[in-house]
Amino acid sequence: MTIAPPTAAASVVPTKSREALDPVYRQIRDLVYKVSGIYKAEDKLYLLADGCGRRMKHLGACTAREYWGHLSGQPGREGELRNLLNEVTIGETCLFRSPPQLDALRKVILPEIVGGKIMQVPKRLRIWSAGCSTGEESYTLAMNMLEESERLLKGWTVEILATDLNDHSVETAKAGIYGDYALRSTPDHFKRKYFSMVDEKRLRVCADVKKLITFSRLNLQDDSKMPIMKGMDLIFCCNVLIYFDGPSKSKVIEHFFRNLNFGGYFFLGTSESLMKLNDKFHLVHFPGAIAYWKPSLKSSQL
Amino acid sequence: MIASVAATIRERVQYIETTPTIPAVFLPLLKLLSNSTEEVQVDEVVRLVSYDNSIAAQCLRVAGSPLFGMVQRPQSIKGAIISLGLRRVETILLTCCLGQAFPTKKWVLDPVVFWRHSLGCAMVCQRFSEKLAAADAEKAYMAGLLHDIGLMVNCLVFPKEFAVAMQRACQEEIPLDEAEQATMGFTHCDTGRALAEKWKLADDITEVIAYHHGLEQSQASQPLVALVHLGDLFCRMRGLGYGYYERHKVDLIADPAWAILLKEHRDLEGVDLVRFTFELDDAVDEIHALVSTVFGSTPVRT
Repeated sequence: MTIAPPTAAASVVPTKSREALDPVYRQIRDLVYKVSGIYKAEDKLYLLADGCGRRMKHLGACTAREYWGHLSGQPGREGELRNLLNEVTIGETCLFRSPPQLDALRKVILPEIVGGKIMQVPKRLRIWSAGCSTGEESYTLAMNMLEESERLLKGWTVEILATDLNDHSVETAKAGIYGDYALRSTPDHFKRKYFSMVDEKRLRVCADVKKLITFSRLNLQDDSKMPIMKGMDLIFCCNVLIYFDGPSKSKVIEHFFRNLNFGGYFFLGTSESLMKLNDKFHLVHFPGAIAYWKPSLKSSQL
Repeated sequence: MIASVAATIRERVQYIETTPTIPAVFLPLLKLLSNSTEEVQVDEVVRLVSYDNSIAAQCLRVAGSPLFGMVQRPQSIKGAIISLGLRRVETILLTCCLGQAFPTKKWVLDPVVFWRHSLGCAMVCQRFSEKLAAADAEKAYMAGLLHDIGLMVNCLVFPKEFAVAMQRACQEEIPLDEAEQATMGFTHCDTGRALAEKWKLADDITEVIAYHHGLEQSQASQPLVALVHLGDLFCRMRGLGYGYYERHKVDLIADPAWAILLKEHRDLEGVDLVRFTFELDDAVDEIHALVSTVFGSTPVRT
């Protein structure tokens, strides 16, 4: 599932300080959370206000209160909420977006999964990046798995399936070429090791990383395709569920649950919540990161 | 814990009595806080605080923190009591006294890190308690604030032994109480309990200090101990821990403490833990600011 291209985010300029914000933006924040599970933290509220500002301009609404009417009272509010969600998730994607999530993955989760599959032959780790957009998350995962290839994952085969609804995004992802903005959080060590230079402003992901990933087009609502995604150890689905209505969202989450191995983990975006849409997953905390865990058979039988 | 170790702890805790910096108002205040609200006179608190201008001034600064819901800093202790309520002002006073009671330099554990964790835990326990409409949110705050008082004892009277424990915890990325047990043969729960008994803290607070890592041993005050146990875990997972990475997966809902709280408070089922997590993240900056307000400039780390 694709959101606006990363370059668009460069134009997001904070226009309002926290103190100056109209209290109605907190009401909008609560509404956005209720319908999408996306939570805009206090220090990111100005981004929500910016997104609202762009929509207000489009609609000709003069005040935040007036815009609130478009979101809550008037006919067409669902469409407007979707437009706003598009605005507020702009530019959220980049490589190495959540270091605490990667720490949890490498320090806690991988040792647990590897330990759980100690008797398994062949040793295989399957990861699904669902709604991979232009590939930033998929490549970040691949590079981190390669970092473990001489340690925890020695002798393991890692497969990353990266899917998106949008053909254009999938093609961009396959090319694996990123500019400064997408690479702003990538540690230099990774830039040197896993990229080659395209020109002064862009780097290309190297072939060793690419060969871990299979990019393809997939509609998450296409039930017939879901069985081919089974046997996953990890599923990442960042800022994608916001595009589905309640029942579709529940169905997609159920697919994720079924396609995960017992003991596998499901990750959402860092400020996104599954809320109460699925009670089979266990919400688990790691330092600075949250994940949803499908309990291992052993623990679910206890 | 063997009897001789307990005797050593009690003996060394006597040293704390010679610490000259404990404000005169501190122990009487603790006694007041253990009474029920109806028995405490506003004037008594005002009189107590007026003995120590620096505590009164600091209390007013802290009361102005957004964490306590004030828009403007109150001008007098009596004014703060009218705006915030007697119990809350008492807990704020306790926070200030505790900050002055212990030296802020040359600790094995960075005092700033310690106070952020303690204040963070106090806030989480208080807010959780408010969400559950539990009887005494201020008691929860006090319990959270004091739960790790044994770490201060360790820093003051077992500095060498505790340095080894701290080093092991950082190196192996394990919970601090596990490292203490492995290297010292006792934990901050044991040393904290000795101090709590010496200071004749209320029984429920003493239980929290003694058993927040050994819930099954608590007796009369299990729900409060369970609340603080969860608050402590929660803070350690959201950047308010002991200043090092803990390789730890926390499933709060599967924790026995959750079941104990749920028995007391059915409302717990309705709490959106992810949103609560995001809200805590919002409060982290305020907690950092509060620590600076209470403890002044950043102390030196040994």
